[in-house]
Amino acid sequence: MLLSLAIWLQNTGLFRFLRESDHGYEILLALHVSSIALFAATVVMTDLRLLGWALRGPTIQSVVKQMRVPKRIGFLCVATFGFLMFGIKAEEYYYNVFFRTKVLLFLLVAVHALIFRPRVYNRAAAFSGVKLAAGCSLVLWLAIVCAGRGIGYIHPPVFSHHFTMQIQHQIPKGLK
Amino acid sequence: MFIENPLNTSEWTFPILEVLHISSFAIAIGTVALVDFRLLGLALREQTAGQLTRDTSAATLISLSVALFSGLLLYSTDPDKFYLNVSFLFKITCLLLAILFHYTIHRRVVLSDSSMALGRLVAVVSIALWVGVVFGGIFIEFVKPGLGFD
Repeated sequence: MLLSLAIWLQNTGLFRFLRESDHGYEILLALHVSSIALFAATVVMTDLRLLGWALRGPTIQSVVKQMRVPKRIGFLCVATFGFLMFGIKAEEYYYNVFFRTKVLLFLLVAVHALIFRPRVYNRAAAFSGVKLAAGCSLVLWLAIVCAGRGIGYIHPPVFSHHFTMQIQHQIPKGLK
Repeated sequence: MFIENPLNTSEWTFPILEVLHISSFAIAIGTVALVDFRLLGLALREQTAGQLTRDTSAATLISLSVALFSGLLLYSTDPDKFYLNVSFLFKITCLLLAILFHYTIHRRVVLSDSSMALGRLVAVVSIALWVGVVFGGIFIEFVKPGLGFD
């Protein structure tokens, strides 16, 4: 089911166009990484403030509140460019173990938000669990960077013929 | 005499260095970007750009240092591949300009609470230079090897 969805997605007009364009994927990747920089700073500086290691001028509440909008905009950019990259190679990504790991880690990020947002980030003066929340967040996002970089390292074989032809040139020489 | 770079004896060193490089430059560029977006008046308006830069400059400097050292180690694994690469040369040019700009003009304008217009100009130049570094870095893998004069 997920596989047929991936195949359908990558064969829509938009993703056909992006795949056949000259540098579509590379430009999206560069935009993805550039917006990661902005997003990472909002996440890391918020967490470092919670840990008390940086940005100690303003209060925790002020930092959390002020970072919220840039963080959301940053995430929206990262996710949009990431989704467009996924659509270009959806079928290949479906088989990519690093991609699957990354999706799983995003589920953990959602769990993190469910647990800690009401207890830590939205609370005015509650300090229990603050450092745990910040530490978990930093570890999770670092793991996502690792998984994300890993995606580019492997090119799992794609089994349906209509896409295999187009990615032949990306398969390492030894495997051809 | 040929000496093997110890970094090339395990297939794990390069990916680990890469992740370190990516995480650290993300924080370095991101913290600068936060100050730039403050200069543009788009975010974090509860404090001045000067206060913000004093609060984030340690994080910027530490992560920039880690990015530079991990970058040098990455470079050392295959120097020929990099210095004969148009995108890499573009990246290094942008990087030197960005660092120079950041610790001279950018710093002075941010800390002196100059006029809004000057602040915006400096912010745009800063963002453009750092995004240039990222684009140059990404395209190292995708441009044809060689400098294109052959």
